[in-house]
Amino acid sequence: MTGQVTSERMGRAELIRLAGDLDVATAPTMGREIVSCVRGAGAVLLDLTAVAFLDSAGVRLLDALVADLDRLGTPIRLVVGERGPARMTLQLCAFRDDLLAVDVAEAADGLTG
Amino acid sequence: MSEPDVTHDVRLPWEEDPGELYDHAPCGYLTTLPDGTIVKVNETLLSWTGYTRRELIGRRRFRELLTPGGQIYHETHYAPLLSMQDDVHEIAFDMICADGRRLPTLVNSVLGRDPAGLPRVIRTTIFNATERRGYERELLAARRAAEASERRVRVLQQIVADLAAAPTQAEVAETVVRAPGPAFGATSSSVWLVDEHREVLAAVAGTDPATGTGDLALDSAHVVAEVARRGDLHVIGSVREAEEHFDGMASEMVRVGRSTVVLLPMTTGCPDDPAAAEVLGVLGFSFAAPKELTDSELRVVRLLGQHAGQALDRARLYDQARRREDRAVFLVETTHALEGTQRLTERARRLVDRLVPEIADWARVWLQVGADGLTEEAGGPAPDPDRLAGQIAAVAVSGEPDRDAAGLGCVIQPLVVRGRVLGTLALRPTAALRRVSEGAFLTDLADRAALSLENARLYEQERIVARTLQRSLLAHETPQDPRFLLDTHYQAGARDLEVGGDWYDSFLIGPDRLAVVVGDVVGRGIEAATTMGQLRSAIRALASAEAGPARVLQGLDHFVERAENARMATVVYAEIALDSGEMTYVCAGHPPPLLYEPARPPRYLLDGRSAPLGSRSGRTERIEQRIRLNPGSRLLMYTDGLIERRTRPLDRGLEVLATEYARRCDAPMPGLTAGLTDLLAGREHADDVCLLCVALGAEQRLERSIGADPVQIGLLRQDLRGWLATNSVGDECAQAVLLACSEAVANAIEHGYRDDPFGVVDVTATVSTEAVEIRVSDRGTWRDAHVDVARGRGLQLIRQVMDHVAFDRSDGTTVTMRRIRRDQS
Repeated sequence: MTGQVTSERMGRAELIRLAGDLDVATAPTMGREIVSCVRGAGAVLLDLTAVAFLDSAGVRLLDALVADLDRLGTPIRLVVGERGPARMTLQLCAFRDDLLAVDVAEAADGLTG
Repeated sequence: MSEPDVTHDVRLPWEEDPGELYDHAPCGYLTTLPDGTIVKVNETLLSWTGYTRRELIGRRRFRELLTPGGQIYHETHYAPLLSMQDDVHEIAFDMICADGRRLPTLVNSVLGRDPAGLPRVIRTTIFNATERRGYERELLAARRAAEASERRVRVLQQIVADLAAAPTQAEVAETVVRAPGPAFGATSSSVWLVDEHREVLAAVAGTDPATGTGDLALDSAHVVAEVARRGDLHVIGSVREAEEHFDGMASEMVRVGRSTVVLLPMTTGCPDDPAAAEVLGVLGFSFAAPKELTDSELRVVRLLGQHAGQALDRARLYDQARRREDRAVFLVETTHALEGTQRLTERARRLVDRLVPEIADWARVWLQVGADGLTEEAGGPAPDPDRLAGQIAAVAVSGEPDRDAAGLGCVIQPLVVRGRVLGTLALRPTAALRRVSEGAFLTDLADRAALSLENARLYEQERIVARTLQRSLLAHETPQDPRFLLDTHYQAGARDLEVGGDWYDSFLIGPDRLAVVVGDVVGRGIEAATTMGQLRSAIRALASAEAGPARVLQGLDHFVERAENARMATVVYAEIALDSGEMTYVCAGHPPPLLYEPARPPRYLLDGRSAPLGSRSGRTERIEQRIRLNPGSRLLMYTDGLIERRTRPLDRGLEVLATEYARRCDAPMPGLTAGLTDLLAGREHADDVCLLCVALGAEQRLERSIGADPVQIGLLRQDLRGWLATNSVGDECAQAVLLACSEAVANAIEHGYRDDPFGVVDVTATVSTEAVEIRVSDRGTWRDAHVDVARGRGLQLIRQVMDHVAFDRSDGTTVTMRRIRRDQS
């Protein structure tokens, strides 16, 4: 299964939804698509709830993305649901709790708050 | 009796003066000395010649009165004969008279000798031979004239025979141009032909310098053009005549050394009605020496003009007939070439390739299809693009052909079908086609091309509809159940064939019964796709827990009686009891399904066979076969496109399929059917190919081998996920195993096979009630994973999610990972 990237504008934030597998095979392509969506956004919400599988290559991509946005001062939240493959892998990799949100609403609150 | 005394003169009744008799005798008398000096001459000779006696007596010798030829004859014949035999008779001499006239005479001379025998005097009588010589001359002239006439007639007969055999205008011209030399003694000659549009006189044969050898406009002032317009014979007898009537001609005649020129129109039609005659060409010939043509020669010249004209007319009709035939053949062949393919683009391509270079040096077809239209072009150079675009647009709107598109040298024909302009055909005709009138031909060509292209367009339209219909029918969700795994593949024929009637289907009958179908409807296009949809629905409707496959087929036979297009469709249909693993199958005229069971080579299931649906000649008693499938079995059903190839017998195709299937029996299920299609049929396969593979039962042990390609990891994960679910492994544990396995395989690919794209990674998974164990092996060369931070994170993840991890790097690398099933405890 290949991964899909869709995005929509939500206020000043860009809401980017990922679906399918984010792994060693799909990370390069999805990474490029995410970067093109992120460009110029005031804030980024990355919805990973529909991701069926996340491996270390996907984690590396997300890590790099967070680092870049932090440097630019652009807030980012990862929406990972209460359970599921994305949350499991990211928690295993000890992503900062403040980066993770259960749903989009919570993530949006986190940005404004 | 006494005889009259002949020694005495008869006494005349009147006084006869001897002198009078001498002077006025009916012949001339001349007495000369032996050297020819005239000493006595009578009045008769003086009156004939116009000399006076004083001019001759003692002043002139006889031979001096003769023509130069006569004087020579006098020396060589007359004088020696006379001195040898003392007399000569009837010698013909022309005497020169006082005024220079010639007087033909016959001369008799007698040589008188003295008693010593020496020549003393020559007495000569001279008879006037004017009349007799004139007669002889006439006779000779008449004979010469007859000979010349006969020669001309012979030449003319030969020419007429040659003309009759000349099939083309060019050959007629070649024949005619050879005539004036032998027939009239002409020095040189040329032939011009009037072109079909009656605009140009084309110089086609000959090298006559006086009349010229270049093409002329028919309305030019040149004398040849004038003759062609007027249609009468022109004889320019001398340079002086030319100066009077044809000014340009005179200087040309002087320059090239010609004294007489004849210009003869070659005409068709009735000689009695010159107004109705049509001039088809002009024959010009000229003479270096002055030539006066006799009446009989002029008659022959005119006759030659008529014969040549008729021959040209016949050749012209013949040329036209042949050209029509050539064009008809060209049109038929073009239509045929276009019909060689169904596809629109390919047809357009073939059209321009046909036209260039045969009838055009550049051609472009443009069709109003799709958003941008479709253009195919051949030859070159292309005309000015902007002007061309404008003209093409104008023709597309008006629907009227443009015979000379704004001076581009092109013809633009609209492609019209049923009153609708489909597009345009622009072409620049070859010089040969331009010379003849091409309007009707090009219109015919455009009409045929338009019809063919329109058919292709309709075909494309139908093809798209049929494909869409077929895709929508095949796109149904396949049933999901942990007890089986399905993989399907449909590949449309790559070539320009219409959509086929191949299909697959799978559905559940009740909670524990899976039905799988692959079928193939006879025929192509929308009808086949529609029929396929009907059969598919019919099978779903007929299948029930009670019926079973044989009853389903009987029902289909019944259905076919009402759906004629479905007749002779082939179907393989199987129902699998998911609880017991028992499969019941039927095969109606379809290639046999291929079964793989763990630890056995694949085998074809050749039972349960009967004839295609609705067959009238085949065995239609529907029988079904039962077989128990072990867990881990994989059943493959397919259509004949997979195994049939023109270059390979069917048996061989089945063998190859079995071999390749065996080789893939441990490959991940997802992508299995696509891989088989790629290998056996190839992407360019002409036919549609349809496959369905179902893997059954919970394998205790999952063994897979995948290539060193990151994309394969995703396929393996799907397989593994299904296997974990089949074995009721809990979600959290399954997630952990999937992550660890993926990371391990990624490691093997990225490190073990960094330099080997053809490496293979073996994955083995076993499950027990306590734990899941995964083993990932490669045969590559491992590098220190800690050097790579990213891979390091992968290893870290493995260690985090698995309870036990062990590396063995003795032969390649084997990672063994174990996860306790907490969900079970």
